[in-house]
Amino acid sequence: MSRRISGREVATVRLGLKGRFVAFVSAIIIAFGVVLTALSVRAQNERLRHELEDRGKLLTTVIAANAADALAMIEVRELRKMISEARDQENVLDAVAFDEDGRVLTDGTLVNPRRHLLISEAALRHVSGSEALLVEFDGDAMTVTKPVHLGGRVLGGVRLRYSLASLAEDQASLARRTATVGVIFALMGVLAAALLTEAVTRPLNEVIRATRALSKGELPPRLPVRTADEVGELAEAFNEMTRKLRDTTVSRDYLDRVLETMGECLVVTGPDGTITRVNPAVCSLSGVGEDELLGQNCRDLFRAPQGHVSLLDALGPDGSAHGLETELLARGGEAVPVMISVGAMEESAGRTRSYVVVAADIGERLRNEQQKDEFVTMVHHEVRAPLTAVRGAIGLLAGGVAGELGERGQELVEIALRNSERMGRLVNDILASRKLDSGRMEFHFEKLEMMPLVEQAIDSTVAYATKHQVRLELSERVPGAMVRVDPDRMIQVLTNVLSNAVRFSAADDVVIVNASRRDQILRVAVSDAGPGISEDFREHVFEAFARGEHEDWRHRSGTGLGMSISKGIIEELGGAMSFETELGVGTTFLVDIPETA
Amino acid sequence: MAVGCGQPSGPPPSAVATAPPVPAGVLTIGSVSLNPTQEYEVVRPFADFLAANLHDVGIGRGRVEIVGSLNQIVEEFREGRVDLFIDSPFPAVFVWQHADVEPILRRWKRGSDVYRSVVFTRADNGVESVDDLAGKIIAFGEPFSTSGFLMPKAALVSAGLRLVNYEDPAASIPRDRVGYVFSNDAENTMFWVLKQKVVAGAVNADYYEALAGDRISELRILHTTEAVPRNVVCVRNSLDPMVVQAIEDLLLEMHLSDEGGASLEAFEETTKFERFPGGAEQDLALVMTLLPHVQEDLGP
Repeated sequence: MSRRISGREVATVRLGLKGRFVAFVSAIIIAFGVVLTALSVRAQNERLRHELEDRGKLLTTVIAANAADALAMIEVRELRKMISEARDQENVLDAVAFDEDGRVLTDGTLVNPRRHLLISEAALRHVSGSEALLVEFDGDAMTVTKPVHLGGRVLGGVRLRYSLASLAEDQASLARRTATVGVIFALMGVLAAALLTEAVTRPLNEVIRATRALSKGELPPRLPVRTADEVGELAEAFNEMTRKLRDTTVSRDYLDRVLETMGECLVVTGPDGTITRVNPAVCSLSGVGEDELLGQNCRDLFRAPQGHVSLLDALGPDGSAHGLETELLARGGEAVPVMISVGAMEESAGRTRSYVVVAADIGERLRNEQQKDEFVTMVHHEVRAPLTAVRGAIGLLAGGVAGELGERGQELVEIALRNSERMGRLVNDILASRKLDSGRMEFHFEKLEMMPLVEQAIDSTVAYATKHQVRLELSERVPGAMVRVDPDRMIQVLTNVLSNAVRFSAADDVVIVNASRRDQILRVAVSDAGPGISEDFREHVFEAFARGEHEDWRHRSGTGLGMSISKGIIEELGGAMSFETELGVGTTFLVDIPETA
Repeated sequence: MAVGCGQPSGPPPSAVATAPPVPAGVLTIGSVSLNPTQEYEVVRPFADFLAANLHDVGIGRGRVEIVGSLNQIVEEFREGRVDLFIDSPFPAVFVWQHADVEPILRRWKRGSDVYRSVVFTRADNGVESVDDLAGKIIAFGEPFSTSGFLMPKAALVSAGLRLVNYEDPAASIPRDRVGYVFSNDAENTMFWVLKQKVVAGAVNADYYEALAGDRISELRILHTTEAVPRNVVCVRNSLDPMVVQAIEDLLLEMHLSDEGGASLEAFEETTKFERFPGGAEQDLALVMTLLPHVQEDLGP
């Protein structure tokens, strides 16, 4: 491979793990071998040198010992013979025998050109004062002088010049042999490293191949787990991963089929909003073909949500958005209301995003909402107002405005009055529920003390409770606890819960109200000793018009909207509502409101 | 050393043979040595060379006869078992005087045609002449050496000194005698004199300066002998004159050819052979005169 540095093309070699490992181990082996070889050669060189020097010293010593008599008798012929033989010895470059004055007697030759010449002054001084060997080094040679004394008298001595050149040859030979052995061991080491690396990297290569296959969408076969070490664990982990992928990954065809059949519109865009993919639902809703849509910008398909200049502008910091209501611009200028969710996909950290836009046609829902609003308006105007008039009229009849009613007439008027009041509550609940659903219920938040609100709700319910022969009891309080709520809505909820408890209580029962504080949450618990809520109805308690299948429930419940409205109001106030129940024991409704400092 | 032409040996040449037949005659060289093996190795190639070049006179093979004394070589000549003898002048003249032989040529060795000996002493020991050697001891070389022993001894005896052999250089010598010891080596002789192991010494004059080296100034020469031929070639008189002539001619021309020169070099560094410039009688007259003084040293 190559890379460009400062405008130049620089060839580089990228070693794989195997190559690096082999290179590393080889470098260590070679470095170790070089150091070991150098140390070995050095030690053996020292040994060779000492051996060679010792041989030279020993030879000189032996010749000197043998020459003692000849020196004493001035038998030069004998000395010549000895020195001649000495010169024939291996590594001996020169040899002489000298007298007590340091003059050469013989150099072992008949010609003897150095006859009478003086040996060196240093050697002569040494000979006159010592019987020990004198060793002088000179380049690749050493000169060994052995004095010969007899009875304290200097007779002379023997002087050998001994070549150490063979040492260099021996050392070179030794170095070559050692280096050869070193190279062989290094090669064996490298081979072993390569085999070891192969053993280590083969499973890794298998993982690499399997991973590449996986990246191509292929599910690779199970990797063999040969060892129980980290590499084996890697293979095992890979197999586990592919197994899970096999279990969880859907195929592209499968995904395409899902996209084709899903009812919602799905649009994939690039980072700049360019549409790169759409599903058939988009084409169907927009009336525009896929080919025409691809390459367009999503702003041409979706109107900017209210308050934003474009769809992408409406996205959060993480590139996503949920529940955005806008319009899909269909062919012919028709605008289809849609609810959009957007998810961002990062291809890599900080790199280009793709956006997945899912749009649901909410035209039908909006039409339903509109119909509901129209129905509520109709109820408000066509039912509530006449009902008020009816109740007024019935009230007048009950008050004897139209004359005294008989006993039967009085009963009928009371029935009509109860039912009209009941219808009035139903209409009010329906209107309140609709306001909650549409978000049009108004709240006037104030910072208030909680307990007075509870007491006020109890007071409002006492008459109703008394009517049902049920007693209300506030057993625990949280004095001074402050909340930020709409007081009317809060009392409405508490009153509804209390009246609900009264309704499900038997005569002479006591509805207990407890106020408590926990983790800055104020809780008002209203407990009755009623029949409890059946298991199959519990999940429907807070649904609108939920009154249960039990006859007793149907009989005792009101419009079926109270609990639903109460829960909606509490949640709007920032709290939560729940209940605890046990059949045959009773039910406790829990109203939680955050405490305000 | 003697050369003999003995009886023919081997079958007669075949009339049908295509190659020239090898002559049956044998040329025998006699030699005196106490180291016969070494002597044989030196002489045998020379004898072979001569035989190989004497086919024309019927010599087909060379032979070497080594004996331990001059008397034995004389006997060999008398019996006709030796044909040729080559040695230094005193032994040669001794054989000449006791056997029927004739000196025909002289031999140069190591580039020298004659021998001279030098009798020397330390310059600082008060010995001024050979006469001052009386009561002192002198070192000679080897007992058979002409220059190291026979010539100087004969010269000293002829000068009126009475020489007596001693084993110990430190022996006490009577005033009327000159003691002598054998150093067996010219270098020994030189160092013995220099280190005063002996009072005087005698060596070949050719080697004196080399042996003395830079210490020559410490020495004094007491006597230098007259020159005598270095080596002498004797031939048996009963040998076929044609063979003798052929031998003489061959020896005189050997140094002129490469093969002959190489053979001479191998034969104790012989330079060449030549006739006696003044004739054998005249050139060997001094040796004959001195011979009686060393007769007893040449052998029983």
